[in-house]
Amino acid sequence: MDRMKHAWLGCLFFGGLLFAGTQDSDINVNTRYTVDTVTVAGKGWKTDLVSDQSQNQKMSAGLRKDLLALIGQKLNPSALDGLAVRLKKELAAREVSHRVLRGDSPEHVRVEFEVKPYRGEVGANFTKMVYNSQQGWSADGGVDVTVLQNSFRFGMASDGDSLDERFAGISARYENRHVGTDRVDLKFEFDSYHDQWNSNTLDALAAGGSKETSDAYRTRQNFQPAVTIALAKPLTLEVGANFERFGEQYPAAHTEASDAVIATLRYHQRLEGSDNQQDLDASYSLGAATRILDSDFVYASHSGEMRYQFTHGKHVVSDTFSAGAITGRAPLDDRFVMGNSVYLRGWNKYEIDPLGGNRMVHNTVDYHYRLFRIFYDTGAIWDEGQTAVPRHSLGVGLRESVFTLAVAFPVRSGRVEPVFMMGVIP
Amino acid sequence: MAGLAVPVFPARGAQPIEVTFDGDNLHVSAPSLHFLTGKPLERLKDAATVVFLTQLTLFSENRDYAIRRVPERFVVSYDLWEEKFSVTQLGSTPRSTPHVLSAPAAEAWCLEGLAISALGVAPDRPFWLRFELRTADQKDLSGGAGEPGLNLRSLIELFSRKPGPDDPNWTREVGPLRLEDLRRATGRGARNG
Repeated sequence: MDRMKHAWLGCLFFGGLLFAGTQDSDINVNTRYTVDTVTVAGKGWKTDLVSDQSQNQKMSAGLRKDLLALIGQKLNPSALDGLAVRLKKELAAREVSHRVLRGDSPEHVRVEFEVKPYRGEVGANFTKMVYNSQQGWSADGGVDVTVLQNSFRFGMASDGDSLDERFAGISARYENRHVGTDRVDLKFEFDSYHDQWNSNTLDALAAGGSKETSDAYRTRQNFQPAVTIALAKPLTLEVGANFERFGEQYPAAHTEASDAVIATLRYHQRLEGSDNQQDLDASYSLGAATRILDSDFVYASHSGEMRYQFTHGKHVVSDTFSAGAITGRAPLDDRFVMGNSVYLRGWNKYEIDPLGGNRMVHNTVDYHYRLFRIFYDTGAIWDEGQTAVPRHSLGVGLRESVFTLAVAFPVRSGRVEPVFMMGVIP
Repeated sequence: MAGLAVPVFPARGAQPIEVTFDGDNLHVSAPSLHFLTGKPLERLKDAATVVFLTQLTLFSENRDYAIRRVPERFVVSYDLWEEKFSVTQLGSTPRSTPHVLSAPAAEAWCLEGLAISALGVAPDRPFWLRFELRTADQKDLSGGAGEPGLNLRSLIELFSRKPGPDDPNWTREVGPLRLEDLRRATGRGARNG
């Protein structure tokens, strides 16, 4: 019987070659009908691709253009298969199916794509992975478990890049992305880290720097509940609290607290033309630690960022402006830092701000074309009452997706000390 | 039907098939076999095309070897506005229904297109005939969405896949038959198997 099965297969294989020559469009009797509407629908949302701009932002301009191009044309079933595959990929869906139904007028049909999301998903990912030839490796990764609208994350980090400390430890986060409505997102996060300090930072603290900030701590625990509300797309507001405990060793083992209310307002707008795309992101964050929350540190931190990106084909140019100010005495981990993989890339943070600063201003211009990438950073970090020293750096490298391989040069007179960086660099 | 029809009732109450002989070829018919139903029908009503694969196999008296086999492919679509079916039989010279048909008529049209040559079979020599029919998505027979073409891997996957409860998958075997017992049919298009 095996021989028979193989013969059966053989016949169909060669017969299938003949079959392959005939396209679905040629033999589907509905190809004579004209498409009058195309809709894409998921759980709790539906878009006709024309009127609902907020839902349309779920997919790229190119895909939406191709979906809209179906309207007014004769039905092409094989094109629907290709578009369903693209929708599945862009919307990270479990399945995208399509149906064709009678239209509102004779000889017309309507096309409906149905997007089915994953019910449960487990994934591992890195939110940060950077190698800096001065600071070594930094990584933050974890496992995400998503069940319906609930997401759990268990992470581990060892980061010597973001702050003036190297912190290593664990984190856990629970997030509910649908609290009664898709517009409200609830999040709880807990982090526990051990800290190591660079000698430049310890020397600066010993020289009296701790008047401006905390002492060097050995451990840091943080609990942060927050609610994010979509006020009106594209505007979201996140409000919450940040309860931090610092285990300090000197002059005697004791604990200090930094408890603050936090709020962040975010704005995102995308403008799409036929050949280009513009993205505008803006955010303002406020952190206010007060004695009312039993905080040992009392301060108010304001920071804002504005980013504009213009995409034309494979050319992408962006400008990101950031500024921040802290009034009062904030712990070391809440102070601004530059000379890392985000701000003033190429500079050594322990040279320019071993204790961070309570004032900062920074601008980045970034251009990439295909794999090629070039960026220019300029900024200053200082403490209130000091003179701000503007600094500049240039970088060049290769970028594939989120991964970058770059060499950054701090611009200064005298010597050239390039810094090599690779990883997930903004 | 002008020829001698030999209805054969297989076990377990399955739909019988009838075998006729036109002097060159053997033909089958199964008026009670309805395959435009269930899941394939749902897909058709979503304006998809459904591919039906059929095969006729002529076996020796003892069924120990296949004398000849003829596979065929039919692509069916459903007209959303007229609520009737259109069928294309693929092959070196594809043919299609001249107009849309009702479900029974479309099913009958498919089976009328099946024939297997009886060349070399002695009139008094017993033989067996097997009829097989199964479905396949058109995309299963191509390299993937948007990639027309067929690859062996897809075909192996297709045939190794267990049919779903709603997927038609019929096999009927009739025999022993003898040509001399089958009256010559007329009015059927002779096809070489």
